[in-house]
Amino acid sequence: MSPLRRFLRKPEAVAGAILLAALVAMALSAPMLFPGDPQAIAGPALLPPFQDWSLPLGTDRLGRDVLAELFYGARTSLAVGLAAAAAALAIGSVVGTLAGFAGGLVDEVLMRITDAFQTVPGFLLALAFVSVVGPSLGIVVIAIALGTWTGPARVARAEVLSIRERDYVAGARVIGMHPLAIAFREVLPNALPPVLAMSSVIVAAAILTEAALSFLGLGDPNRATWGGMIAEGRAVLRTAPFLSIVPGIALVLTVLGVYLAGEGIVETTAVRRGLS
Amino acid sequence: MIALASIRDLTVTYRRDGNEVAALKTINLDIGAGERLAIIGESGSGKSTLALAIAGLLPASSRIEGRLDWFLPSSPSSGAKAPPSVLPDISPPRGEITPSFRLSPITEIASKELPSKLPISPLAGEMSGRTEGGGTDRQPKFVPLGGRDIGFVFQDPSASLDPVMAVGKQIAEVAYTHLGLTWPQAYAKAKSLLERVRLPDPDSALRAFPHQLSGGQKQRVAIAAAIAAGPKLLIADEATSALDTIVQAEIVALIRRLVAEDGMTLLFISHDIALAAELAERIAVFRHGELLELGPTAQIVDAPTQAYTRTLLDAHIGLDATPLLNRAGLNA
Amino acid sequence: MNLLTVSNLTKRYRRGGKTIAAVDDISFHIEPGETLALAGPSGSGKSTIARLVLRLIEPDAGHIEFEGNDFLALSGAALRQRRARLQMVFQDPLAAFNPRSTVARLLDDPLRIHGIAARAERPRRIAALLERVGLAADLAPRAIHEISGGQRQRVAIARAIATKPSLIVLDEAVSALDVSVRGQILELLLDLQRQERIAYLFISHDLGVVRAIAHRVVLLEAGEIAECGDARTVIDAPQSAIGKALVAAAPRLNRTRP
Ligand SMILES: Nc1ncnc2c1ncn2[C@@H]1O[C@H](COP(=O)(O)OP(=O)(O)OP(=O)(O)O)[C@@H](O)[C@H]1O
Ligand SMILES: [Mg+2]
Repeated sequence: MSPLRRFLRKPEAVAGAILLAALVAMALSAPMLFPGDPQAIAGPALLPPFQDWSLPLGTDRLGRDVLAELFYGARTSLAVGLAAAAAALAIGSVVGTLAGFAGGLVDEVLMRITDAFQTVPGFLLALAFVSVVGPSLGIVVIAIALGTWTGPARVARAEVLSIRERDYVAGARVIGMHPLAIAFREVLPNALPPVLAMSSVIVAAAILTEAALSFLGLGDPNRATWGGMIAEGRAVLRTAPFLSIVPGIALVLTVLGVYLAGEGIVETTAVRRGLS
Repeated sequence: MIALASIRDLTVTYRRDGNEVAALKTINLDIGAGERLAIIGESGSGKSTLALAIAGLLPASSRIEGRLDWFLPSSPSSGAKAPPSVLPDISPPRGEITPSFRLSPITEIASKELPSKLPISPLAGEMSGRTEGGGTDRQPKFVPLGGRDIGFVFQDPSASLDPVMAVGKQIAEVAYTHLGLTWPQAYAKAKSLLERVRLPDPDSALRAFPHQLSGGQKQRVAIAAAIAAGPKLLIADEATSALDTIVQAEIVALIRRLVAEDGMTLLFISHDIALAAELAERIAVFRHGELLELGPTAQIVDAPTQAYTRTLLDAHIGLDATPLLNRAGLNA
Repeated sequence: MNLLTVSNLTKRYRRGGKTIAAVDDISFHIEPGETLALAGPSGSGKSTIARLVLRLIEPDAGHIEFEGNDFLALSGAALRQRRARLQMVFQDPLAAFNPRSTVARLLDDPLRIHGIAARAERPRRIAALLERVGLAADLAPRAIHEISGGQRQRVAIARAIATKPSLIVLDEAVSALDVSVRGQILELLLDLQRQERIAYLFISHDLGVVRAIAHRVVLLEAGEIAECGDARTVIDAPQSAIGKALVAAAPRLNRTRP
């Protein structure tokens, strides 16, 4: 049975994939459906949803189109989530591989650094970093990656430690391959599967962290973000609760979708690896 | 020869990612009670599949056709308890086979085809013509139980022993489960079994964990667990292949002695024709899932009818073989 | 002059508080184009010697002289360069190759690393190497798990001879092969030795094979040399206890009509 068929047999994985597909469609279609600036004023302030069909989800306190903001927010969430997770996985894999493969002092130093990062809560680290450097999309990505690379690093190191003793690594040394080439060409690709298995959790966490940063006003001020929308709506939570509820639901569904689809992929590929 | 089991038109097909691989093709084979039968063949010839089919351990992903009939006196089932969580003597062998097992449907097929009131195997008539008596105590519909009636020894003893359980307990558990002994009796039995397989210092070995034993010692423990319930049939699947020649010779001698002492039937599976010839009375040669040739050891070794068997014999490099080396080649 | 001279080589391991000498003060030599076999029971130190000679692990004491140079003094780039002359074939060819690699990539590595052939010329060199070990050149694009065990061991030999070594260490290189394939691989090794004068350090516990292929043999027991000398002389009439035990344990095929 092909992995795709096996994936399609899991209803929760399919549900996740559908949620994720909807999110991607939102992100990609935003500039086409809403060509203007989503942060520009589009109508009267605090228009409730389903009143005016040119503004289906109404407007916020400043009269901005909530639906347009929601679509552009999907773009930010997805971009930041994927970029931060990719950065965390890349940093973690490289650090873990170097530590595990080199051993000795290099391992000791790299793992102490990893410990240091791990003792500080990731969110606090991101918060501090953005407050010092100043908020922009790139900085938010780096800030989130700084707090999440340690998990992948540990997993990669453990995997590398076991691969390092295999005959084929000895074989690569015997033909005179450079240690760095052995580490990154021969060992790392085979250590990746368990590291990549963590990606769904990391992407979901990164999306939540981004939302939290924007909620605290530390997101990129020039972009629509779901966290920023929730924070905006908080001031009028009594009178216009939908302003917070709509982006909140979007956030929950996105995190759920990423997680379910990711787990589905990991499970189907793990089954395949177990069989072969 | 009184048959212990009779295999008729056995075909086993593995399904793997949409492909069907025939591991055994219409095999017909009788295993005589009390005989030492060797199954030899190279990798992929279907030797292990045959062993698993006989023990009813084929994976669920396999398709089985044909029938397997047993002729065993009915075993006392009074003392039998529910199987323990860990059956140390039955565990998946390496490679090729997916790890989930179910009882062989062969026996189900056989019982479906046979009306329950007429327990007559197609072989029964044929057999009674050749053998004297024996017909009364044979029960064609008997379904053997792995661990109790069939003992299994695999190539890799670490795979069949539980790494976190003392070896004494693993052996005692088999005796406790299948023989209806109390735990103290089962431990006493385990100790006597460790003595029988000549493990040095059986008292401390009872408390040892597998990783504290050498490869040869672990294989002795695996054999002790396999024979703990007094099986009728001992299946050794490449049981000595991972061991060095000295230990291999010791284990072969041990198996030969135990089989003789207990009157067990031995199915010895190996790729090494010389080793098989030293131990077995009959040899079956398998290739590409087919049974090529079957006969008494002397006949297979001295007068093989198949060219492939001759190839296997000629490929053996014994201590009296003509050296391959051209001595003139070295003039340093 | 000797190709390889090993003197007083010692390697100790600590295990559970106790120190065991896996290799204990061992000396031997190999001449160019010669096959020296290391035989002995499991745990006698055969693989440890192989790894020491290949500088995969470092000895606690002793000297290794290879092609007239102090091999233990080399390090870094100089060591990597010299490795071209001293190659290895492992027991399990599947474990000895990166599971993701193709035949072509495995053979490309040594050619690239040692600058033996320019990139454009390499496919031709790879085809020639495959042919040299009796494989079809169109095997090159195959993944390593898509070829048979015998073919894999031929690829391992092709990779080992790609850098034109003077010595190849073979650690149980034919033990995992089907017997019908084993004979062909041994023939290939002998043919390479005749043509290119490659010396072999041939590790095996199968005395039948050792007697058939080796010039000289070193019998090991518990990290020490029990007996050494001409392979047939030693195996036909072993003097040491371990030699006698190994000979007695070898399976015999008593064919009256061979
Ligand atoms: N990394 C290690 N750590 C601890 N002990 C080791 C290590 N490698 C080998 N040994 C020990 O060194 C001794 C020699 O082992 P070695 O692998 O050289 O034996 P061998 O002759 O190759 O055996 P085999 O025929 O089983 O391959 C053994 O006692 C082994 O347990
Ligand atoms: Mg070894």
